[in-house]
Amino acid sequence: MVLIFGGAYQGKKDFVLAQFGLKKDDICVCSPENAPDFTKKCLANAENFVWYCLNRGVDEMNYFRCNSALFEDKIFIFRDIFCGVVPLSKEERAWREATGRVMQYLAGKADRVSRIFCGLEQRLK
Amino acid sequence: MKILIAGGSKSGKSDYAQTLALTLAGPGRRFYVATMIPFDAEDQARIASHRARRAGLGFETVEEPRHLLRCLENGPGAYLIDSVTALLTNALFPQEKDYRFSPKEGERCLSELLAFARQTEDGVFVMDLIFSDSCRYPAETEHFRRLLGAAGRRLAALCDTVLEASAGRIFIHKGALPK
Repeated sequence: MVLIFGGAYQGKKDFVLAQFGLKKDDICVCSPENAPDFTKKCLANAENFVWYCLNRGVDEMNYFRCNSALFEDKIFIFRDIFCGVVPLSKEERAWREATGRVMQYLAGKADRVSRIFCGLEQRLK
Repeated sequence: MKILIAGGSKSGKSDYAQTLALTLAGPGRRFYVATMIPFDAEDQARIASHRARRAGLGFETVEEPRHLLRCLENGPGAYLIDSVTALLTNALFPQEKDYRFSPKEGERCLSELLAFARQTEDGVFVMDLIFSDSCRYPAETEHFRRLLGAAGRRLAALCDTVLEASAGRIFIHKGALPK
């Protein structure tokens, strides 16, 4: 498993396409409304999948722990949503915290963890 | 040599960028490209503080908040562009148009910035980091973030060295520091 994260507009998807020789069609861009397509190699905007879980009352940590086999070969892309002011809305606070917990869990499991900064890779694991 | 230095507010990026520009200039000319169009007294104070911090360093100040390529008429030297953020802001929300959102002007500014970066020999580009929060911004603000993000990625590809500043320290993302 690979975990890629970074701020908005830093070139995370382009990095994954180039680095892992993927095509755009290999990437599923997660949405808050629909379940992702787990047949795809890469799940981008995975923070939206966490929102999807919370919205349906799914315990996100439990979900990722129970389904770890499903994710062994995946590349996750998360947007760094963690450095702003604490959000005013309760839902957004819960989402930010849940996303952070999931990222820490996945980073622990991943073979490779990288932060993307202005299109450049900063390898953290 | 061209260097991109990005960082949050008060991360020390401007001070470090000055030092880098001095190193790049050596005994040659060094230009400080003043990009900010002051809006109020707070901006005036910020400009005064930046001026004070570079006093005595031999910078020639070039007031060019709009058309970066015109700077090159000054001839060879080390150019310090502080900041890319202000340049794009000036273009996207022009003062003379009552700060009305002008996406085409924003695109033009980004093209000119990249043309400048290609043409200049020695340059230091200073940029803010505004990409790591969970806020949902109005569409025009989001457009600004996207434009600045594109500027960062494309400058990073063009520059020899890419640095991130925080708490006055720097992290090297690409290349090496000038000697």
